[in-house]
Amino acid sequence: MSECIKYDVVLVGAGPANLTLAYRLLQLAKKPIKIAIFEKGKAVGSHLLSGAVSNPRVISKLFPNWMNSDFPLQGIVQESNLSLVSARRWENLPSFATPPYFKKEGYAILNLSDLATYMVRQIKELEQGKDGAIVDVFPGFAATSIIYDGNRVIGVRVDDTGDDESDICYGNVISFGDKGFLSREIVTKFNLSNNPQIYSVGVKEVWETNESYEGKVWHTIGYPMEPGHFGGGFIYGCKNNKLAIGMVLSCAFQNPNIEPPQILQELKKHHYVQDMIRGGKLIKYGAAILPEGGYYSMPEKFAVDGAILLGDACGTLDVKRFSGVDKAMESGYQAAESVLKALEDGDFSGTALGLFQENLMNGWVGQEIRNSRYFRQAFVDYPELNKKVIPGIIDSINAGKAPWYAVMKMGIKDPFGSLELLNAKKMIENPSDKGPVVYEEDRLSVSKGFKKAEKESPVGFDHSLLYSTADVVFYANTHYEEDNNHIDELDANVCANCIKEYDAAGYKTPCVGDCTADVHQTLDNGDYRYHSMALENCVQCRTCEIVCPNSNLRVNAAMHGYGPDFSGM
Amino acid sequence: MSDELKIVVLIKQVPDTSSVAGVNPDGTVDRARAKRMINPFDKFALQKALELRAEHGGVIIAISMGPPPAIEVLFDAIEHGADKGFLLSDKRLAASDTLATAYALFKCIEYIKDVDIVFTGLQTTDGDTAQTGPQIAERLNYPQITYCEDLIVENGKVKASRIIDGGVQKLEAPMPILVTVANSATRLEHKQFANVYRSKELLRDEQAKKERIQLLDLDKINADPKKVGLVGSPTVVGKTWKIGEKGGSCRLFKGAAVSKEVETLVDCLSTEGRGIEEYVR
Repeated sequence: MSECIKYDVVLVGAGPANLTLAYRLLQLAKKPIKIAIFEKGKAVGSHLLSGAVSNPRVISKLFPNWMNSDFPLQGIVQESNLSLVSARRWENLPSFATPPYFKKEGYAILNLSDLATYMVRQIKELEQGKDGAIVDVFPGFAATSIIYDGNRVIGVRVDDTGDDESDICYGNVISFGDKGFLSREIVTKFNLSNNPQIYSVGVKEVWETNESYEGKVWHTIGYPMEPGHFGGGFIYGCKNNKLAIGMVLSCAFQNPNIEPPQILQELKKHHYVQDMIRGGKLIKYGAAILPEGGYYSMPEKFAVDGAILLGDACGTLDVKRFSGVDKAMESGYQAAESVLKALEDGDFSGTALGLFQENLMNGWVGQEIRNSRYFRQAFVDYPELNKKVIPGIIDSINAGKAPWYAVMKMGIKDPFGSLELLNAKKMIENPSDKGPVVYEEDRLSVSKGFKKAEKESPVGFDHSLLYSTADVVFYANTHYEEDNNHIDELDANVCANCIKEYDAAGYKTPCVGDCTADVHQTLDNGDYRYHSMALENCVQCRTCEIVCPNSNLRVNAAMHGYGPDFSGM
Repeated sequence: MSDELKIVVLIKQVPDTSSVAGVNPDGTVDRARAKRMINPFDKFALQKALELRAEHGGVIIAISMGPPPAIEVLFDAIEHGADKGFLLSDKRLAASDTLATAYALFKCIEYIKDVDIVFTGLQTTDGDTAQTGPQIAERLNYPQITYCEDLIVENGKVKASRIIDGGVQKLEAPMPILVTVANSATRLEHKQFANVYRSKELLRDEQAKKERIQLLDLDKINADPKKVGLVGSPTVVGKTWKIGEKGGSCRLFKGAAVSKEVETLVDCLSTEGRGIEEYVR
């Protein structure tokens, strides 16, 4: 063990949570501290993707001068729209009718990959000015498995030369800020949650447009969402005539073939979006998952012996407020004190490391996540909301009527149902305690008997602004070499049977139908159809693992920096 | 000990071809804005050096010429396992063509002294001339093997195979020698975590860093400033222009039986009787 490589703190993933932790540790540390940052992307930020419109509350805490520095700001929201969208119409709701959590004026428009690059630069600067502080960043080195000593996390494997001494990085504290690639193992092994995490998948395109929309943002409800499908669209105007267009789609939906990139194309067919992107060009494409279970999907403990969970690994995202980045950063901010104290005392037990949990949950993160705790469940308990109410409103808009016309009509036709809806509204807006909710795993929602609803499509759109999934993946700039093999198919027979069942039902299997990058395919070998993967396309969103009905796929962190290049996303 | 080799690898930092580089009004690449990377061809040269050192022992010295950020490729080379790096950086070198570049690098190699083998890539992705390597060999008065795919060192001689039209040429040459490595040679192995860790540890120590990575300028290598840069470069860039842009119009033919998909593909290739039909129908 004398030769082994060891740091005080090892960060798994260079995302906003872990980078905040690193920055904060350097700010607070009074003694020498040695930090390693592992990032599976070929560069810091190359696997980071988010909307992102974010409350800058943690950014301004970390970098008080951020507004007047080289901080990579894409814009400040001047005009925040909640838009009701039908195939023919696009209604931006007046401010009085917009719920407060949809009002984003004054928020920062960010691209997460640039934010991470900036933060690493700041961290390195802080390191320079601090005696005994060491921060080593290892881009292109993915932590691929966790090393335990009994029940204590002591390190991560980051290379595969076959020699443990060279392949393992040990740490007193391992901080997981990943989207589950590794941290799901901690949650399972230590039995930290009896409620599964549920996910949405987000797809996003960045366009360069003729006009500038800087500071304008839209969040959409309605078209092109299927009735009953939880999710919506977003359009964020960034500087330099860039426009981010995206859809966020729940993985908990009956339809086995969501085809996320194609739903995004549907949104782009709308004349309102067409007008913005006509004459422009597509710059980038990407996809990522969002843990949206919220309060009740969070682990009971945010720390175990030797390790902590931050950001998406901890499930701090607040789906009601679309607030992920700031809460992830705050988790890192709060964790710094516990980690430092643990280092000072030499006590790396889960109890010592987990002291920050209380601060985090008593602060604004906890308050907001608690306030949102039934938001997602309201759409499960009152499926009518998504199946009838919203589609009803959208239909009346499509017919040229005011949104409240539909609400009134429903009230007259079904007064009792409307009262029920008031309960749903209460769950969303002002929840009183009704005990914990238990989610069903996303994959269990998928139904072979799903019937797609007939829906109206926009007409007169410009085809050249739309992309097939195979085409759009080109803009994710993925790079893999032949030694890559980052998705495990656990049992080929399970896949063959699944394909048989879905073929009979007239659907593609969920892995094929929900893939954001045309990775999964079913091929015929003459005797039967089997599952195959074009891994060179993969943008590492992990959707296939989540929707696989048989939990037969496992997406691991790809090594050697393989994967997409989301820089600028 | 006597067969230990002093190996020089020439590497260049080029604009990252996977990122969109800006183009200046005069048609040249805006290097300041472009993301940077190690010239992909040079990776094959570095790999050959690593293989040779593993076999015979010795040192690998990476040399780069370029503006100060080019030091990044030297760090890169050291993380891959190179022993030392030299960066030749001098404002007077700006706008050097291959003649001037080869002269400057030749003076560098002279400065380093007693080199056994110089490896270079075939060419660079930004200039694409493949001239610099051979020119350096001429100036050094070394034999040169271009397009080299494979080589061994035996009894102080290099036995190599190089790619030629229609096959492979085997040849033997004495050292010191300059070898430009083909891009069909062994790919550069991935960096190892332990190597990267050790080089970070090492370069933290300012003294060790100075020993490992040295900065050179024209005066230090005793080069004639009149032979480099714009004044030393007879090449004139007449005009550059954009001939098009990569873009996605990719279509995958899949789902149905292969025979059917091929038919659809042929239909798509249709040129209304002006081309492909007569060959495929």
